[in-house]
Amino acid sequence: MNKIADVVVIGGGVIGCSVAYHLAKRGAKVTVLEKREGLCFGASGSNQGGVPVSLFLPESPLLELIRASITLYKSLSQEIGYDIEYQQSGLLVCSVDEKQYPYLEKHVQEMQRKGVDIRLLEGDEIRKLEPIIGYDVVAGTEEWESGIVNPFKVTHGLAYAARKFGAEFILTTKIYGIEVKENRITSVITDKGKLATKFIVATTGAWSLEIGQMVGLTIPVRPQRGQVIVTEPLPLNKRWNYINDADYLNIAFNADEAGNYENQRIKLGVAGNYIQKDTGTWTIGSSRDFAGYDNQVTMETTNYLVKRMIQFIPKLKDSNFIRMYAGLRPFCYPDGLPIISEVDNPSGFLIATGHAGEGVTLAPITGKLISELITEKKTSLPIDAFRFSRFKDMETEAD
Amino acid sequence: MDTIICRCEEITEDEIRDAIRKFELRTIDEVKRLTGAGMGLCQGRSCEPLLKRILAQETNRGINQIMPLSRRPPAKPIKLEALIREKGNES
Repeated sequence: MNKIADVVVIGGGVIGCSVAYHLAKRGAKVTVLEKREGLCFGASGSNQGGVPVSLFLPESPLLELIRASITLYKSLSQEIGYDIEYQQSGLLVCSVDEKQYPYLEKHVQEMQRKGVDIRLLEGDEIRKLEPIIGYDVVAGTEEWESGIVNPFKVTHGLAYAARKFGAEFILTTKIYGIEVKENRITSVITDKGKLATKFIVATTGAWSLEIGQMVGLTIPVRPQRGQVIVTEPLPLNKRWNYINDADYLNIAFNADEAGNYENQRIKLGVAGNYIQKDTGTWTIGSSRDFAGYDNQVTMETTNYLVKRMIQFIPKLKDSNFIRMYAGLRPFCYPDGLPIISEVDNPSGFLIATGHAGEGVTLAPITGKLISELITEKKTSLPIDAFRFSRFKDMETEAD
Repeated sequence: MDTIICRCEEITEDEIRDAIRKFELRTIDEVKRLTGAGMGLCQGRSCEPLLKRILAQETNRGINQIMPLSRRPPAKPIKLEALIREKGNES
């Protein structure tokens, strides 16, 4: 291990690798510390790989970030010399609830005003274009900015490219503490020795609380579990390989509200997110519940996932599934938005976490913004909504 | 030589060795995720020992120092419908 770095990135997930890549590309001497024996073992490794645009509300501060991230994804394979399997797949959002129709209409109009290529479709039109869609689907929106990527290839591809620019990855490393002198970061203490550094970026996902506490900060993030089922290869869909449940527009990004409903499915955050890879396998997701650091798949949630799926793509129920998994996403409980920020005290400490289910979606732009904060002290996009200082007046509930 | 290591997904020994070197891999979970070996219908039951041996060679370690593949249910392919049978709904 080197003894001196410009920047130490803590966490080898997709966000950490993107931060490392963007910084190393700008000439910084970067060391990434990861507690596991490899990369992509947290939420990044249990992501379905969707990069959605029309799942966000037009007024969400995330929309601009996501569109910037997609722009970066478009050229990423070429830039790093490795195919991350980006596809501009588009996204079909389907509704099985007539009451959602006016909501979808409004959503389409507002997104069109934002320049998004999106239109409303009736259930019958959808089935004509994609016969696999079930008769419960009453309407939907098709939009063509969204895409899909391979999360493992994105993470490892970014790490590979970062190494080419001199970044060092130290695996199986425990962090014991962070040293601060006169309100400034000076070094990281690990089980492999002390590493002097000017900057630390915490890209620690659902495990951020502990790292924050080392410098006296409460990073308000808790693990949110997402469960996914993988099928055997099946014939490829004709038009859409990325299909979503319109419930995501209402519930998935607002866990507090979901908790108030009676409905157990909504409480578990189960809404359909279906992606078919070119190999023919489908991933069937997803859910959003809070079970501490338990990352096991549960019968209750997978039961709801399949029941919900039957309304959207009924045929899949006759196919085999070969794998199920769950991952822990970092959910920022005060407002559900990510934290992409430096902090006032100690200076030199930056945070990039809280991306919930959108870590892979937002990784390219997050890495770029953090590298700008460190090397230029300003960012190419406004990040006020993502600053750590937004929690200042808030009573943080650490648990 | 193009020896097939994963018969489900038809992944060759060369592909596996290339990935280990290019991405400096130390776990067969990552080999699986990046090459697709062990991701097919049998979920690595036939190729896992081979993957371990190749990774041990490439990283100069003993086979017993290589972590096994993460276990993902089910043990063999099952119809999705089985997940919604009313019995067995308890987690």
